[in-house]
Amino acid sequence: MTGGQIAGAATLPSVPPTVPLQDTVLLPERLGELTGLDGFGLGGELLATFIAAFIVGNLMLAMTGVAGPWAKRKITAAFTDRIAVNRLGPAGLFIILADSVRLLSKELVVPENADRPAYDLAPIVVASSALLGFAVIPMGSGIHLADPEVGLAYVFAISGIASLGLVMAGYASSNKYSLLGGLRAVAQNIAYEIPLVITGMSIVIFAGTLQMGEIVSAQAKPLLTIAGISIPSWYALVNPFAFVLFLVANFAEVGRNPFDTPEAPTEIVAGYQTEYSSVYFVLIYLGEFLHIFLGGAIIATIFLGGPAGPGPAALGIVWFIIKIWAVFFATQWLRSAVPRVRIDQLIEIGWKGLLVLSFANLVLTAAIVGLIA
Amino acid sequence: MCVRFEPSNVTEMNDWIAIGALALVGVLIPFGMMAVSYLLRPTVPETSKRATYESGEIPTGGTRIRFNIQYYMVALLFVVFDIETVLLFPWAVAYQDALAADIPLVRALGPMLLFVAILLVGLAWAWRTGAVQWARTPRQLETDRP
Repeated sequence: MTGGQIAGAATLPSVPPTVPLQDTVLLPERLGELTGLDGFGLGGELLATFIAAFIVGNLMLAMTGVAGPWAKRKITAAFTDRIAVNRLGPAGLFIILADSVRLLSKELVVPENADRPAYDLAPIVVASSALLGFAVIPMGSGIHLADPEVGLAYVFAISGIASLGLVMAGYASSNKYSLLGGLRAVAQNIAYEIPLVITGMSIVIFAGTLQMGEIVSAQAKPLLTIAGISIPSWYALVNPFAFVLFLVANFAEVGRNPFDTPEAPTEIVAGYQTEYSSVYFVLIYLGEFLHIFLGGAIIATIFLGGPAGPGPAALGIVWFIIKIWAVFFATQWLRSAVPRVRIDQLIEIGWKGLLVLSFANLVLTAAIVGLIA
Repeated sequence: MCVRFEPSNVTEMNDWIAIGALALVGVLIPFGMMAVSYLLRPTVPETSKRATYESGEIPTGGTRIRFNIQYYMVALLFVVFDIETVLLFPWAVAYQDALAADIPLVRALGPMLLFVAILLVGLAWAWRTGAVQWARTPRQLETDRP
């Protein structure tokens, strides 16, 4: 890995353009050195790795905590001319704590006829599968847990596990609306998974690797220079068509508007989560928000240059968080702005529209790259 | 492709240990939350409380309803396309290298085009038989009528 350059470094003369943005040292090793744990052999290394994983996991948990009880309400309120939470703390931020206590202290009502092991396992599967995807995401400032060679394929595979959790939740609840919601969720996820992966593949053609760190550093190369400002070759700029396709497929994959048919309240109550209460509801909700952020993280990494941005490399995590929050904001914007599609429309858009377009994008990208080379 | 025995394989190993560590954290966080909730929440058993939710009404009919066969059709279609994406990934990774090694475009791109074309024939078949069309338009209903 050569180490990328800061995007738009030419605009900031004070920063030397050779500062490596993408650290080759991963977080577990760095923590091991920092705390001296690597001196204790394998046990110390394992402990350092665990601490690193704990940091990454809780970072994402904290973001979900801000997004779920607070940001979602504030954004929706702004779109609908309301104020939303404003009583507890500055701008109502302490509602996060109050809401966590409120939700966790609710009585757990398990419906009769529930299929017990599956009913209990489903929320855990949904929540942890989302968290697991963040292992390979380079978040900048050295926060990067692992960088296996199959990074991109891994992250797609892991995010697919959520479908299993949702169908488990839907079936085990023993409620017809839950069952329909679970089936819709899985039909939707499989319909949009393929455009998602195929479009991601058109990016792999540019990068020539599945390794996330390499994909990010490949995007640091300048695309073109206009009036002394060098524009990095973020793949969203190199192939905007793929970016739009990926964005749409991602919204469907995480089940947000206009593709939130699996939990359409006007049709099937709340879909697969109808029968879930208390901590189980929190876990499913958490899993959904983590999936939105995971989708945002994939978009940021393969299309928006990962943690790249103006300023010193230490700011990487800030840029990364801004990028994934931008994707989150887009989901909430769509939630307020666009109507929901019907399930039959959803399937047709997926299989007849996006799938064909994503194959066209892949073939065209390959052909253009081949002809230029 | 042969397996490389280079120092990079050591870090590769560490990568999967780190992913395993995150899996552990990913399971511990839900269990931690469940433990906290167990300590906080009340338990007030009552039989009607556990009834299947149907918007406040008394539930009608069984819960194992019949659902549309189309869900099964798209799942079958998905299996085909998902295997296909797995097979395309190595091609996508090797494509630039192949071009750089002066392999002619027909050999680098041609087989993939053929592969995708075969799959698209499958999609066209599914399209024609209506596997991906869930609702019928009024005109189709008109022609179906005997």
